Amino acid sequence: MTIFIWTIQFIFAPVISPLCIGIIKKIKAKLQNRQGASIFQPYKDLWKLLHKDEIISHDASWIFRSAPFIIFAVTIVVGASIPIFTSFFKSTLTGDMLIIVYALAISTFFLALAGMDTGSAFGGFGSSREMTLSALAEGGLIFSLLTVALVSGTSNLFAISSSTMFGQGQHVLSVLLAFSGFLIVLLAETARFPYDNPDTHLELTMIHEAMILEYSGKRLALMEWASANKLFIFFALGANLFFPFGLAQNAYAGEIVMGITIFMAKIFIFCMVIAFIESSMAKFRFFRLPDLLLISFIFNIVALGLIY
Amino acid sequence: MGFYTTNNMMKEKTQQYIPKDAEVKFCDNTAIFEISTSEIKKVASDLRGNKNLSLKLITATDERAENGCFKIWYVFGVPQENIFIVPFIQLKNTTEFPSLSLNIFEALNYERKIQTFFGLTPIGCRDSRPIILHENWPTDVFPLRKDFSCQTRPKTASGSYRFQKVKGEGIYEIPVGPIHAGIIEPGHFRFSVAGERIVLLEPRLGFTHKGSEKLLEVLSLNDKVKLSEKISGDSSFSHSLVFCQALEKLSDINVPERTRYLRVIYAEMERLANHFGDIGAIMMDTGFNFGGAQGARLREIVMQINERITGSRFLRGVNVISGVTKDIDNREKSKLSLELENLSKDFSEVIAVAVNSTSLLNRLKGTGTLSAKIAKKHGVVGVAGKAVGMSNDARFDYPYAAYDKLLLGEVATEQDGDVYARFRVRIKETHASINIIQDALNKLPEGGINIPNIDVIFKKNAFVISVVEGWRGEIVYFITTDAAGNISRVAPRDPSFINWAVLRYAGFDNVIPDFPLINKSFNLSYTGNDL
Repeated sequence: MTIFIWTIQFIFAPVISPLCIGIIKKIKAKLQNRQGASIFQPYKDLWKLLHKDEIISHDASWIFRSAPFIIFAVTIVVGASIPIFTSFFKSTLTGDMLIIVYALAISTFFLALAGMDTGSAFGGFGSSREMTLSALAEGGLIFSLLTVALVSGTSNLFAISSSTMFGQGQHVLSVLLAFSGFLIVLLAETARFPYDNPDTHLELTMIHEAMILEYSGKRLALMEWASANKLFIFFALGANLFFPFGLAQNAYAGEIVMGITIFMAKIFIFCMVIAFIESSMAKFRFFRLPDLLLISFIFNIVALGLIY
Repeated sequence: MGFYTTNNMMKEKTQQYIPKDAEVKFCDNTAIFEISTSEIKKVASDLRGNKNLSLKLITATDERAENGCFKIWYVFGVPQENIFIVPFIQLKNTTEFPSLSLNIFEALNYERKIQTFFGLTPIGCRDSRPIILHENWPTDVFPLRKDFSCQTRPKTASGSYRFQKVKGEGIYEIPVGPIHAGIIEPGHFRFSVAGERIVLLEPRLGFTHKGSEKLLEVLSLNDKVKLSEKISGDSSFSHSLVFCQALEKLSDINVPERTRYLRVIYAEMERLANHFGDIGAIMMDTGFNFGGAQGARLREIVMQINERITGSRFLRGVNVISGVTKDIDNREKSKLSLELENLSKDFSEVIAVAVNSTSLLNRLKGTGTLSAKIAKKHGVVGVAGKAVGMSNDARFDYPYAAYDKLLLGEVATEQDGDVYARFRVRIKETHASINIIQDALNKLPEGGINIPNIDVIFKKNAFVISVVEGWRGEIVYFITTDAAGNISRVAPRDPSFINWAVLRYAGFDNVIPDFPLINKSFNLSYTGNDL
């Protein structure tokens, strides 16, 4: 039974993540009076890209060639190491908060390197912008997770998600503040509004898209899939660390099914929030973005202060 | 002012602009006189600088076969009076002419164009690089000379183009285009940036050069009108209108009164469709998806009305010499009137939501500011000019069609010159357009819409200037006929040709990610510039 649940846990992120993208796009389309593509379109896109030929610049080094595999692998490992629908895998090696954050940093690092590797101007400024933002976002991310870690007294993510401390009055405000900080970082890390516009065709405004502009075919599929996974990972962290209810506490089939259902509902709410943000506001000017990340940091410091 | 101004009246009105010893020829509302090569700099600077006339166009004609010379024409317009002052110079046994670009900034690109296409050298010009034609075109073949046949296929040359360079620590160049990620026209932009700030922006166009000016000399008359619709596809009606009006003047055709009103209605429908589209696109480029979607929807409504009334979404095939081909009957009249009322309400609601969005306003305000000083120095036209408070609008200044009989209100202007100002100008013009159409529908007189089977005979050795306010700005056509009464030269000038030159000033010191928004707020035509 455990093997079976492990398998689900392992494939859950890569299998469900394109669906999140599809749902967000569908809601956005509806909000713009459009019909929109099917929510399964991202799967078809990945399938299409995986069957296409690739063009790789002559100037590309091993970094450009291997970055998609490294980044994709990282998101798979991280996706398997965080609480999704169960909270009883406490013994895993990689389930620690710091390991998750810095494993994701490795993928950002390689993404930025890959962007610069071919020497294209777009990749260069994409990487430069990405590093500016992720350096500022890191503080917010660490401190928001630190808040929930301190509340539950452990840095193991599964342990945090099975914690019962959240229901108690004194920490509610802390957790909510930390969640606000986390949400701001989530948008930055996953290249959504108001930081980046995932749907734009304007090369000069891109951040994430600029870095993967030189990719095509299978490697592009991996890059796209990896960024969907990353979005999923942040959704899962947000859903299970800050609102840890409904996770399966043991390996009974009923519990598992219930866990998955509740988790999907939480994810859907996240998709709705993102779609609403992206339909109702304009992207911020680049130089205003650090202010926003600073706000996230302040939220988290206040949240930490409130714990004691 | 009609087309039949008597010579005496013209003399009186133009007196102050013309040097005393000049021999003046009057053609309708145009005063033409020769100036010696050494005097032109002084005369032109005086007209532009002291008399505050606007420079409409500088172009050349190749009259070596008839008169043994090249002529260079400087077309100035007197706003409100609807008069054109046209000094020209003759170049006999020489291919050099004095450059005005140090005194009149917008003269630069006209002179570069004359140099590239006629092989005449502007002396003292601060930029001698070819314009529009690229390195693959041999530098000793001049396509607008009469001895160049449009069938010629010159050998591919290989030159190089020198972009302006900025040197300094941390400056790097970003080449963008000509092929872009979106479905837009091709154009190359070279940015020199320090971090995210734009230090220098140099647009390089010409990728859509089609030889339209040459074709306008050789095609049959009907095909010429059709080609004028394609000078810039989104301004099909305005371009064919200005061309047809010029040809009507050249052949003394007086179009039916009803036609004049219909032309106003169609021209304003075109403005409406494009302004809706632009207002939406500006919001879309900031990522404000609601506004983007609504703008596209409103534009589509107008396009569908266009198709219903005329059979063409872009109002193509509507203008002909002597009138229009599509009428608006009484049933259509009331239907259109009702639809416009709904559009107006609909649009106001969208704008109310937009101007309440802090994040949108924050992106629009203060972005891509063009200073009034630079705009005036470069003679900026259209939306960009109105956004810095220049109240130039051909509908007011050189009334054509039925604009002199309709309630126009006042020219929509703003002061700030930023993206938001250009956005506001479009909103104001949109409301004004709806009112103008309603007014024209109410006053629509009975009568024919064109003169069937008319024999078009042009005046010989004549000359005409026609100006129309397209939705981008002022479109100018310059047409001459030869001794046989055939059209010998057509020089269209899209407003984009003028405004592309100032885009670099609007982009300066903005951050790179804001450039697409700035560019969209100008929304200039590439094909109208490249011809």
